[in-house]
Amino acid sequence: MSKMAEKIKNFVKKTLFIDFIKGLHVTLHYNLSRSITIRYPDEEKWIPYSRFRGRHTLNLTPDGRELCVACELCSKACPTDCITVIPMEDDTGRGIADRVARVWKVDLVRCLFCGYCEDACPTRAVRLGREYELASTDLSCTKMERVELLRPQSIPESVTGGVVAKARYVRGEGKIKVEADLGRTRKMRW
Amino acid sequence: MTVIIMVVKVGVVAMILFGLPLPLTWLERKVAGHIQARLGPFRVGPHGVLQPFADMIKLLLKEDIVPDKADKFLFKIAPLIAMVPAFLVFVAIPIGDKWTIPFINKDITFYVSDMNVGVIYILAIAGLGIYGMIFGGWASNSKYALLGGLRSSAQMISYEVALSFAAVGVVMMSNSLSLVDIVKSQSGGFWNWNFFYLPVGPVWFFIFLIAASAEINRIPFDLPEDEGTLSSGFHTEYSGMRFAFFMLAEYVAMVTVSVLAVVFYLGGWNPPVDIPYIPDSILPFYGIGWFVAKSVVFIYLFMWVRFTLPRYRYDQLMTIGWKILIPVCLGAILVTGVMRI
Repeated sequence: MSKMAEKIKNFVKKTLFIDFIKGLHVTLHYNLSRSITIRYPDEEKWIPYSRFRGRHTLNLTPDGRELCVACELCSKACPTDCITVIPMEDDTGRGIADRVARVWKVDLVRCLFCGYCEDACPTRAVRLGREYELASTDLSCTKMERVELLRPQSIPESVTGGVVAKARYVRGEGKIKVEADLGRTRKMRW
Repeated sequence: MTVIIMVVKVGVVAMILFGLPLPLTWLERKVAGHIQARLGPFRVGPHGVLQPFADMIKLLLKEDIVPDKADKFLFKIAPLIAMVPAFLVFVAIPIGDKWTIPFINKDITFYVSDMNVGVIYILAIAGLGIYGMIFGGWASNSKYALLGGLRSSAQMISYEVALSFAAVGVVMMSNSLSLVDIVKSQSGGFWNWNFFYLPVGPVWFFIFLIAASAEINRIPFDLPEDEGTLSSGFHTEYSGMRFAFFMLAEYVAMVTVSVLAVVFYLGGWNPPVDIPYIPDSILPFYGIGWFVAKSVVFIYLFMWVRFTLPRYRYDQLMTIGWKILIPVCLGAILVTGVMRI
């Protein structure tokens, strides 16, 4: 008896287009809600979470000394051999001990951004930061040196991330940047 | 003098119909985008409004390829045959009522001609559009195009029957074949509209909508032009402006069908509730405003349905056309006939 009732119910549903109307209702709901597109690069930019593995940085202690002691553990941990570390003795107090890196190079073309160097570092000097716009038109900016890596990144560690920030598309000589304004952020509409 | 007025009217209608597909393609892409939670075209001009012009320029500058073994005359004439009937239908469709031009004291009517067999004319001309697809598929000398053309023409012939039945239903409900009389018989308020002629009004309305979507090859019935299985069906071999003509034909047909739905079932230029305070000098424009608003709702409905439903498989399509729609039509004719006694 209930199978008959099922069949009648299904038939009535088909004649009254119930499933079509339900589908149309879902689509209308999407049509009337805001879209989730991030308007990169003209208007907005995505600020990743802290755990994001972007371009490397070399960190400093709060009083300005280099944390890297050139132990070469990151170089040995790297699966693609893209990190080159050459230590040197130093008494000027540049670093936290008497050993600092003379040369600390990373080849961004070979890097997998796996984070093994970050995990291997005993002093938490090497960190993968949140810079992800690494595309370039020639190979001159693919090998990063120590001095460049010591500069503070555009997104400090204190910012939680996971938001979309208002950004400007800035064209300089030879370089283009998307500068994010970390003060005006909005949550991502999933 | 009447000839001049007629020529001007025809010119205005043709201009509007040539200009309509461009904003409609923009609107379709925007609606598609927003239904899919993204923005549509956004960068070409503010909110993408110049996108159709960019598309038109691109299509104009494309190389015009005519396949080697194609039937050249049929190949070149097929887009025209697809497009012209969609324009011709508008000769019979009334947009507004009579209006007296204030300073010259002359009467003009907002329809090109009031044929007393308007419904038959429309059905006949709409049937001509099928030839464009058949010629396009056949003359392309390509197996995908041929299959697409054949499927498309079979689909359109099947749903012509249901469309004609829906027109017959309207004629039975409004007692006249002339479109102006059909609109006038639905005046007085929305309860007089053919859609509300219970119990068969809504049935005819939905039959008309389904048959019309199948006639203009619109999802869920657009198997002949789906890019998945048939590599775009009968217009595979067309490039540049010829392809643009097919697309124009499809959009103008969509407008035609929306307008027909409004005229047949939703009262044409009649407002839902009659307000007696409209002065006679602007009464026709008030009606035209309602007409345009209702047609826009239908055009949006077609786009909305397009981005909601998947498309029917070919045998399902044929099943619906023959085994479901026609018995429903026959039953509805019976009930309508009984109700008109």
